[in-house]
Amino acid sequence: MLTPTLLFAAALAAQLSVKPEALELRVGETAHLEAIVEGADEGATVIFFSTSPRTASVTPSGVVTARRSGTAILVALIPAERLDAELYRQNDPGIRVEIAVTVQPSPLARLDIRGLPETLRVGERVRVHVVATDAHDEAKDVRPSLSVKDEAIASAHGFGDLFRGTFHAHPFYDRPRPDLYPGDASGFVTAISPGTTTLTASIDGIVAEREIIVVPNSVTSIRLTASQPEGRTGDVIHFLVEPADAPVRFALESHPDPSRAETMGAGAPAQILPDGRFVAEQAGLYTVLATSGERIARATVGIVPRDVSRELEFVGQAPVRDRISSDLWVWEGIDGRDYAILGTWNADGHALFFDVTDPSNMQRIAEIQVDARTVNDVKVTEDGRYAVITREGASNRRNGFVVLDVSNPRAPEIISRFDEQLTGGVHNAFLYEDHVFAINNGRRWDVINIEDPTNPFRVSRFEGKSPGRSVHDVWVRDGIAFQAGNTDGIVLVDVGGGGHGGSPANPVEIGRLPQLTGWNHAVWPFRSPSTGKFYVIAGDEAHPVNPRVPGPIIAWEERSASRAMGWIHVLEFEDFDEPKEIARYRVPEAGPHNLWIDWEQEIMYVAYFNGGLRIVDVSGELVGDLYQQGREIAKFYSDDTAGYVPNSPFVWGPQPHKGVIFFSDFHSGLWAVRFVDSGDRSSESMP
Amino acid sequence: MRHPELLNARSLFVRSPGVHRPMRAGLAPLAQATVFCMSLLLTFLFLAAPSYASAPVTANYYAYVAAESDDTVDLIKFGPAGGKLVKRISVGILPNEIEGPHGIKVAPGGRYWFVSIAHGMPYGYVFKFETGVDLVVGHTQAGLFPATMDISPTTGFLFVVNFNLHGDHVPSNVSVIDTVSMTEIAQIEQGIMPHGSRVSRDGRFFYSVAMMSNELFEIDAMTLAVSRRLKLTLEDGSGAVKPTWVQPHPTKPLAYVAFNGASQVVEVDLTSWKIGRRFHTNAGPYNLAITPDGKTLVVTEKSNHSTAFWDLDSGKELKSIRCTNKITHGVTLSPDSRFAFVTVEGVGGDPGLVEVYDLQDLERRAVIEVGKQASGIDFWKMEEP
Repeated sequence: MLTPTLLFAAALAAQLSVKPEALELRVGETAHLEAIVEGADEGATVIFFSTSPRTASVTPSGVVTARRSGTAILVALIPAERLDAELYRQNDPGIRVEIAVTVQPSPLARLDIRGLPETLRVGERVRVHVVATDAHDEAKDVRPSLSVKDEAIASAHGFGDLFRGTFHAHPFYDRPRPDLYPGDASGFVTAISPGTTTLTASIDGIVAEREIIVVPNSVTSIRLTASQPEGRTGDVIHFLVEPADAPVRFALESHPDPSRAETMGAGAPAQILPDGRFVAEQAGLYTVLATSGERIARATVGIVPRDVSRELEFVGQAPVRDRISSDLWVWEGIDGRDYAILGTWNADGHALFFDVTDPSNMQRIAEIQVDARTVNDVKVTEDGRYAVITREGASNRRNGFVVLDVSNPRAPEIISRFDEQLTGGVHNAFLYEDHVFAINNGRRWDVINIEDPTNPFRVSRFEGKSPGRSVHDVWVRDGIAFQAGNTDGIVLVDVGGGGHGGSPANPVEIGRLPQLTGWNHAVWPFRSPSTGKFYVIAGDEAHPVNPRVPGPIIAWEERSASRAMGWIHVLEFEDFDEPKEIARYRVPEAGPHNLWIDWEQEIMYVAYFNGGLRIVDVSGELVGDLYQQGREIAKFYSDDTAGYVPNSPFVWGPQPHKGVIFFSDFHSGLWAVRFVDSGDRSSESMP
Repeated sequence: MRHPELLNARSLFVRSPGVHRPMRAGLAPLAQATVFCMSLLLTFLFLAAPSYASAPVTANYYAYVAAESDDTVDLIKFGPAGGKLVKRISVGILPNEIEGPHGIKVAPGGRYWFVSIAHGMPYGYVFKFETGVDLVVGHTQAGLFPATMDISPTTGFLFVVNFNLHGDHVPSNVSVIDTVSMTEIAQIEQGIMPHGSRVSRDGRFFYSVAMMSNELFEIDAMTLAVSRRLKLTLEDGSGAVKPTWVQPHPTKPLAYVAFNGASQVVEVDLTSWKIGRRFHTNAGPYNLAITPDGKTLVVTEKSNHSTAFWDLDSGKELKSIRCTNKITHGVTLSPDSRFAFVTVEGVGGDPGLVEVYDLQDLERRAVIEVGKQASGIDFWKMEEP
C-alpha cells in the first residue's frame, strides 16, 4: 500500500500522461489505457473513470469497453494526497488528464423493407417501413433513402436524413423517443402505372430491394360524397368514396371566407386525413379531391364558424390569500346544502371547508389541520359522508392520507389515517366504490379499501415495470383505472369494468400509450354521447425556467408570476391495442393542470394555470387542433389584486356543480363563475 | 409558531437574574447610600456582562442549509452581531412541486456547494452551485431519493447515498459523481436505505450506514468498490438498530455510528472492524459531527428534540440541550472547533431553524429562522467581521 508520503510527493511533482491519448473504437471493442507518471514517484496511484459510462466505460485500472456509438471523455486522475484548501479554491483536486473516445456505431449489416403488398393498384399509396440491423441483429436508428427504379411506374418518398435525432421535450427531461415511436425509417410508395419496378432502400452502401408490381386499377369511375354538405369549424366530415375498395388519395382545395378577419394571413385552414376525415379551422368553402389512378372525383363542403362562445359571469370568490391553495372538491352534503373542500400547498397542512350553497356568498366554515406541509388532493365519497385528503411533507415523513367524516362539514372529524407503505407522499388519490386509489411515492398506486372508513386496509397495488417509471395521477371510471405518468404516459387498467378479469384487488393492464412530451400529468376518460367514440383526454404539466434569471426563482417567495407550458392531448382509444393521438387543445404561452369533462354536456373544463379557466366544446368527433377550430366556449382569468401573488391567475382545478363552475386558484382561493344564460341548477355534474 | 429567542443574539447573552444585596444594619446613612449605590452599580455591571465563561465571538461564520419543504438552500451567518439569514437560494426544477433538497456539501476549498434533490420523476439530482454568487454550475441525475453526501478531498468525487426512503426495502446504492464534469461515474450497491455517509479525512474511504439492513459499509474511494461491511447490532448481537449516521474520527482509526433505533452511538474500531464503546444517548440519535480537534462529539437527538455533546476521551455526555422547536436534524461544526450549527425541522408551517451552540461553554448562542423543514447543513467559511 502506498504511504501518504509517497503519494504526497507524487502529487506534488508528478506529471501524468496516458497512452493512447485518444481512442477510436467500435461497439463491443476494448482497449487498455496506460498511465505514465513521471516525477518524484512513478508508482503513484492512478484512477481511471468515464464521464459517459453508457458510451464507453473504463475500469479503475484502465480497461476501456465501447458500449454504444458516440463520444466519451475518460479521465486519468492522480488523487491529491491531502486537502489544501488554498489550492482548491482555484483548482480541482489531483492531477487529471482527459482521453477522448469516439465509439463508432457497429456497422449496419442489413436493411429490410416491410409493409409492401404483393401488388399495388394504380393510384394506391402504402406506407413502408425499413428496418435496419447490425451484425448482431440489433436495431439501428438510421434513415435510408427510398427510391424507385422506374418512376413512371411508382414513386417513393422516405423520411431520410431530414428527420434524424432525438426528441428533446425539455432540457431536464431529455429522453429518447418511446418505443412506440421508434426511429422509423419509413416512407410511402405510390403506384402510378401498371408494370414492375424495384423499390430500393439504401444507406452507407447497404442496399435492400423489393419488387413492386403495379396492376391496373379496375375502377372505372369513383364517386365522392361528404357525410354532410355543411358544417362548422371543428366538425369532422367524412368523405366517402364509391366503390369503397378503390385505392384513393385525397387532396384539399381551400377557400377560407375572405370576409372574416380571422382567416386573413392565418395558417392552413383545414386538413383531410388519409382515411377521408376532414376538419376545418376556418370558415370557407373546401373542395376535397379524391384520385384513384386517373380517376378524380370532387366534393365541396361549406364551413361556417362554430360559434360556441358563451359569456361567463363572475359569481363569487372565497379568497385564500395568506397561503397557496391546491385542489378542490365540491359536493352536496347529506343535509342538501353544497360544500367545498380546498387543499393548501406548502403551508401548514390545512384543508379548508366552505359552504357554497350560495356561490355568490361562499363562507369558510371549518378547517382541518393534519401533520403535513401540503394537502395536495381532496376527494369526497359519492354519499357525501367521507372525505380523503392526501399528505405530503409530514414531520415524521410518513405521509399517506387521512379519512374525514364530513357528514357535518361544519365540524369535520379525522376518523382514520393510512400511511403503511405510503410514506412517500400521496400526490393524488381517487375514490371509487369504497376504495381509495392512492398514488404511492410517484411510482405506483395502491388500492385501499375504506368500506369501513375507520379501518382502511390495502387490497392491491399496481406498478409498471418500465425502468425510471413515474406516475402522477389515476382516475377511475366504469371499472377502468386511467393512469397518467410522465414516462409511461397513459395506462389503462381493468379494476372491474375492463372485461379482462380485473378488480380492485386484482388490477390488470389493458392498454397504454406513451406520451412523446413526457409531461403527462392528468387523465380523464370520455365516451362521447354524440358519436359513441371513446377518448382518453391526457393533460400535460410542465414549467419553463423563468428566463429573467439565471436559475429557477422561488416564485411563491418572491411573489412573482409563474408560467406553464404543454397542452391537452386527445387520444382515440377505440382499439385498446392501437390507440392514436388524434387531437389537441393547446393555449399558446400557457399550460394545463387539472381538467374535468362533463360527459352529458360534452364540455371540457381545463384549469390552464396562467391561462386561466378554459371551457371547451368537445362534442362530436375530435380531430386536429381544437383551439384553432374555435371550440373554446369561454375563458376566465382569476385576477385578484390582493392574491398571494397579486394579479396572477394560476388555476389549479375546476369542477362544475349544479350549473356553477367552481375552480381553485393557486394564488387566490376558491372561485365560482357561471354562464350568463344558465339558470337551471338542477342538473348535477358528476364524473 | 415562533420560537421565543428570535434572532437577537445579543439579548441571549443576558441570562443571570438580578442581584440584590440588603443594606447592612447599623451603617451611617451616607455609608448605607454608598453601599446601595455600589450595589446598584455592581448589579448593573453584572447584568450587562456576558454570562458565559467563553471567549467573545470574533469572526463571522457562514453555513448553507437545505430547507426540504421549501425547495431552498439558505445561507446563514453567525458572528459578533448575532445570527441572521443572509440569502435564500431557490433549488429544484419544477416550481410547482416540492422536490426536497436534503443533503448539502461545501466542496473542499469552499469554491462550490452541492445539494441533493430527493424527489424527481422518479430519480433525484445533485446540483452544483458556485459559492458566493450561488448560481447553478451543473447538475446530474442520481438515484432514488439521494440524501446525504460527502466529497473526497483527494479525488473530488462526490459520494451521495440513494436513500430510497419511500421505496421497497431492497438494497440501494451510492452514486459516485465526478464534481468536475458533474457526471455520475458509478453506482455502488449498498444495503437497504443507506443514509448518513462521510468520507474519511484522508479521502481514501467512504463510509455509509444502511438504516434498514443495519450495516456499516466501507468503500475504497480509489477503486470504488465495497471493501468491508459490518453488521451493526446491540450488545447481545440482536436488534434493528436503525443506523442513521457514520462519522469517522478526524485523526484516529475510529468511526462513530448513530443507532437511531436504539438510543446509542457506537464507536467502531476501523482496524479491528469491531464495535467498541457504546454511548447511551437520549432517544433518536440522528446525525453526528466531531470537532476537528477530535475531542467533542455532537449528536442531534431527533426524537428527543435535543442536541447532545460528548467528550470522546472520557466517553461521557457533557450536556444535552432541548432545542427550541421539534425534530433536530443535521449538524456541522466550525473548523476552529468553536461552534456547532444544528438544524431543527419544525412541524407543518413552522420555519426551520439553525441553532448555534458555543462548544466552549455548551450554551446556545443564536437561533436563526430558515425555510421549512431545515435538514442538511454544511459549513462554508469564517472571515473577519
